[in-house]
Amino acid sequence: MKKFALAFCLAASPALADFAPPITDPVTLKACGECHMAFQPSFLPARSWDKMMANPADHFGDNATMAPDKAAQIRKVLMDGAADTNGGRMGSKVMKRQAAGATPLRITETAWFQRKHDLPERVWKRPGVVTKSNCVACHPAAEKGIYEDD
Amino acid sequence: MSPKLEFTLLRLWHAALAGGFVVAYVTADEDTYRMHVFAGYWVLGALASRLLLALAGSEAGPLRLRRPSLSFGKPGRNPLFAWMAALLLPALALGAVSGIIADGIPKAEDLHEGLAQAGLWLVIAHAATIAWIFQGRRIREFLSGAALIAAVLAAGPAQAGDPARDAILAAYAKEAGQPFSAARGEALYRSKNTASPDFASCATCHTNDPAARGQHAKTGRVIEPVAVSANPKRFTDAAKVEERFTRDCQTVLGRACSALEKGDYVTFLAAK
Ligand code: HEC
Ligand code: HEC
Ligand code: HEC
Repeated sequence: MKKFALAFCLAASPALADFAPPITDPVTLKACGECHMAFQPSFLPARSWDKMMANPADHFGDNATMAPDKAAQIRKVLMDGAADTNGGRMGSKVMKRQAAGATPLRITETAWFQRKHDLPERVWKRPGVVTKSNCVACHPAAEKGIYEDD
Repeated sequence: MSPKLEFTLLRLWHAALAGGFVVAYVTADEDTYRMHVFAGYWVLGALASRLLLALAGSEAGPLRLRRPSLSFGKPGRNPLFAWMAALLLPALALGAVSGIIADGIPKAEDLHEGLAQAGLWLVIAHAATIAWIFQGRRIREFLSGAALIAAVLAAGPAQAGDPARDAILAAYAKEAGQPFSAARGEALYRSKNTASPDFASCATCHTNDPAARGQHAKTGRVIEPVAVSANPKRFTDAAKVEERFTRDCQTVLGRACSALEKGDYVTFLAAK
């Protein structure tokens, strides 16, 4: 009975449902976690990461220029963990809502994200949020891949 | 019914309910929807059968559902059990029934998720209470031990000095062929430019007070202070320094920075 209670808590831990495997490669973690949190690759399909990493100098109006071999390594890490490669359950949720063949460059523009974030305007205007892609503002453990509802 | 049989029935029933709840919880995803619905009905069935069992149970036996009371300290079953039953059974029933409603009316989905989540927390509280009742002392010992270890770990090592920054400055000095000036560095830091509509100045992200924490103006990410006094790790990784000068000068000034400007900038912030 006691053992069961313990196993039960573990099995039913809420983190399970809203988990995106974080990046483990130190080079990628550092390079992509400098200007914003290092987004988990399971939020976008591989073709999106491929396109994004083809030109880091033109990165959402910012400049993420880096050495070409570094960019190549990061591109591989991201594509290997993408929504449609090894993105796990989060990846399959994202892909399910994705129009076939579409190549979204922003996580915040995927159909999955928009469906889960149909929030009132005042929530986006909260101080500290700044932009929709600032996941950490609302999900304090986002960098660990944990996105519990709150 | 003998008390022994009643206890066995109670255990079987508990296993059926808890099992159903676990399955319902982990299959809550869209891709395992049918299993989720099945588990939901299973939970509801188990809850209903609990009422029947209560009717079938003997007068003072374990199957009876007692009214919760505040008679703590008296001999007999801990009154917490009755409270748990009184909270959990209706809460789980609400979760299951709202699930049936949400199956027909998608608008009720949020309500169902909320109720199910509340149910989960009750279940966890329930498990914790049981663990507490049965082996409270061992858990308390474990927790105080863990707190001690965490306190020891938190008192981590401090940081050291940085010949690396001197090497970076020396390399820029060689290229610039001219001494650096903290004043010129400060002027560069605070200069207002027009190359980028979003980022007029280094201070836009690194803030007017370099010893304060900055914030990336577009992503909201916190940027640790750039003044060495506030952040001794600054300008100690040559590859990073070069990479960031390449990017940030291009963004803010619309051109690359010279070795002299880079040296001035680092000199200004190292003295800050
Ligand atoms: C020089 C700073 C910088 C670096 C380095 C950087 N980014 Fe970005 N990134 C930005 C900015 C600025 C935005 C736009 C933020 C916004 O508008 O919300 C952005 C946006 C993004 C977005 C879209 C967020 C959304 O709206 O869904 C993704 C995905 C992204 N970056 C991935 C990466 C990856 C992968 C790397 C590592 C190769 C990286 N970034 C490195 C500055 C940077
Ligand atoms: C303004 C606050 C805010 C920001 C910024 C934000 N989120 Fe959320 N997010 C929420 C809220 C609120 C919910 C709960 C919505 C619900 O479940 O109905 C949520 C839910 C989620 C979930 C859980 C979905 C599920 O399956 O239950 C994930 C995953 C998630 N967000 C990821 C992200 C990512 C990745 C980013 C950054 C690119 C982000 N969020 C940015 C507020 C935010
Ligand atoms: C768009 C926001 C932004 C602007 C504007 C900006 N920076 Fe940065 N800067 C960053 C970020 C993000 C980092 C990396 C995060 C960190 O090191 O904490 C950084 C880091 C640096 C570093 C590396 C520091 C180190 O510890 O190695 C240098 C050098 C630097 N910036 C120079 C400049 C200069 C010079 C300017 C103005 C011409 C400038 N920055 C303007 C965002 C910005």
